[in-house]
Amino acid sequence: MNMLWLVPTLPFIGFLLLFVTGGKLGKGAVAALGAGSMFLAALLAFWIGMQFEHAGGVPFRLPVWQWIETGGLTVQGAFYLDGLSLVMMGVITGVGFLIHLFATGYMAEETDYSRFFAYMNLFVAAMLVLVLADDLLVLYIGWEGVGLCSYLLIGYNHHIADSVTAARKAFVITRIGDVGLALGIFVLYRAFGTTQISALMAHAQAAWPSGSVICSAAALLFLVGAAGKSAQTPLQTWLPDAMAGPTPVSALIHAATMVTAGVYLIARLHVLFMLAPDARFAVTAVGLLTLFIAAFAALVQTDIKRVLAYSTMSQIGYMFFALGVGAWSAGVFHLMTHAFFKALLFLSAGALSLALHHEQNLFRMGGLWRKLPLPFLGMAIGAAALTALPLTSGYFSKDAILLHSFGVQENGPIFWAVASGASFLTGLYSMRMMMLAFFGATNTEPHDHSTAAARLAMQVPIVILAVLALAGGWFGVASLNTVLPDHGVHEAEGMPSWLPVVTAGIPILGALLGWLLYRDQRGFVTRVANSSQIAPVKTLLATGWGFDSIYDALISRPMMLVVRANKNDLLDMLVRFGAGLMRLLHDLLALSENGQLRWYGANMALGTIVLLLFVVGVL
Amino acid sequence: MNAIVIPIEHVLLLAAVLFSLGLFGVLARRNALFMLMSLEIMMNSVALAFIAGGARWGVADGQVMFLLILTLAASEVAVGLGLLLQLARRFGDIDIDAASDLHG
Repeated sequence: MNMLWLVPTLPFIGFLLLFVTGGKLGKGAVAALGAGSMFLAALLAFWIGMQFEHAGGVPFRLPVWQWIETGGLTVQGAFYLDGLSLVMMGVITGVGFLIHLFATGYMAEETDYSRFFAYMNLFVAAMLVLVLADDLLVLYIGWEGVGLCSYLLIGYNHHIADSVTAARKAFVITRIGDVGLALGIFVLYRAFGTTQISALMAHAQAAWPSGSVICSAAALLFLVGAAGKSAQTPLQTWLPDAMAGPTPVSALIHAATMVTAGVYLIARLHVLFMLAPDARFAVTAVGLLTLFIAAFAALVQTDIKRVLAYSTMSQIGYMFFALGVGAWSAGVFHLMTHAFFKALLFLSAGALSLALHHEQNLFRMGGLWRKLPLPFLGMAIGAAALTALPLTSGYFSKDAILLHSFGVQENGPIFWAVASGASFLTGLYSMRMMMLAFFGATNTEPHDHSTAAARLAMQVPIVILAVLALAGGWFGVASLNTVLPDHGVHEAEGMPSWLPVVTAGIPILGALLGWLLYRDQRGFVTRVANSSQIAPVKTLLATGWGFDSIYDALISRPMMLVVRANKNDLLDMLVRFGAGLMRLLHDLLALSENGQLRWYGANMALGTIVLLLFVVGVL
Repeated sequence: MNAIVIPIEHVLLLAAVLFSLGLFGVLARRNALFMLMSLEIMMNSVALAFIAGGARWGVADGQVMFLLILTLAASEVAVGLGLLLQLARRFGDIDIDAASDLHG
């Protein structure tokens, strides 16, 4: 386990090599470096995981270097491995490697091949630092690192204005959350004089009574950070636009790993949240709200990647909800299964749109299930797991969350009902996506012009992820039992016997409704959608409940007003007044320097007379 | 010896009139040669005032000063005429207002 430091270092070396060579390597070498470093990291992570389990799951701390040592602050750069970071490390390296492998084929036509893999490797390294950090400051490095890579990769097509705008938007909005995280770290440091996570948690447990104000404040600040990174209301608006990045980026960063960093953060700081019931309720509320907003928005999207983006938001909403109601392990379990099936969905959608010349509009697809069998199967399995059809991986994790929420002391049944309602929507929009893309009349003929090697590189990850999305739920996450306060995912007790059946049945009803509505000519849906009462609602939902316009009116425009008012630098005018006065005096005096000898002579004479008059005493 | 004693006020008045005439000439004339001549008049008026003073108090200092002023006037004219030649060569004219390149 002493090799733990090598796990983030391997992708970082990959990044360095790709970065230093600056695109001079051939595509084969780049692919070997980019995906190869990930493969080694995944193997090593697997091996370390085996050792960790063998050693009985005892948390393990590996100091690497002394980072900061000053009077009041000592920060050791150390890696920390427990059940939670093990799950995260496994997901990041495993799913990350599969996505890198997919990208070697998917990006084969791109010219900037090397830059893409350099950023991807850097991202994985930063993400691993984030989840393995033993200290909040080290975690913060990783946190900002993944934000930077997210920005760089969304804007990968930097000649397209939209993707650059989307990258900037993602960067700025997640930065708002990062301020919350930084302030949270400051509060904890101010209180306890250290930033080491386990020490902080022990101090907080000992010093702060449950429900104390400072504890709630710290937890709420961390919630702001988590919401920014994980695209939760009200900081969710960047995620749909982030789909401007290449599909492997969406799969790796904006579905499987980075956007779940917020969930990881809250789970990592669970002691703090256990002490702050108010903050925990806020987590629940944020999760439920996002869950609903995103599920409704996903119903009307026309771009297949935006459907998936909104569904990611809504699934992360489930995770937040789970953390809020105390189903900690189930939340992290859902994080893992979601990484499997959402990566599968994105990769299949990527293979699909690649065969259609980068067509992403659902309404220009249709009838493709026979022509593109593998993307179809991948999407079908992914959508089944997303909908939480029984025995898929999503079923185990999501139903664990829902069943747990029913048993919460206050409002349990209400929580359960609201979250289950959203899972009905999940079934509906998943089925709509499948029906539009793969059934009905064919609108665009697929053309697969990838080379055989590229095709293989894309097919293998889809198959493996499909297996994981189906069977991933059977593994469970036993390693979490010792880490999180609810001691692992377990059967809830004292439930009515109908509850599991109903919980499992609701998304199936949603999917059935979707099948009925989108089965044949879709005449009914089209009529409803275009009717004058529904059309404005549809437009509102398509823009993600108009959050962008609200922020534009509330923040961007007033800011622009201030900017425009200050365009002439109001404060500078004060300074410039003094300079202007001096200038004026200078010009006046310069007038007297006219180079005329006679004028000088006259002045001398005048001056002498005045002086004489002084001496004599007349003046 | 029955010399006619000219009161010093008269001499000083004459010196002041001469000085003012010279100053007016320096300020009003644009021809550099006439300016030099006006300067001579100013210096001579000053020298006259010194002589009158020396005579009034019966000391030699006034005449010493006159000799110094005479020397000064000679060297001034030497330099001034040299400048005048340069002025004429550069501007083809000895108009002093033409030489105003050093304006601010």
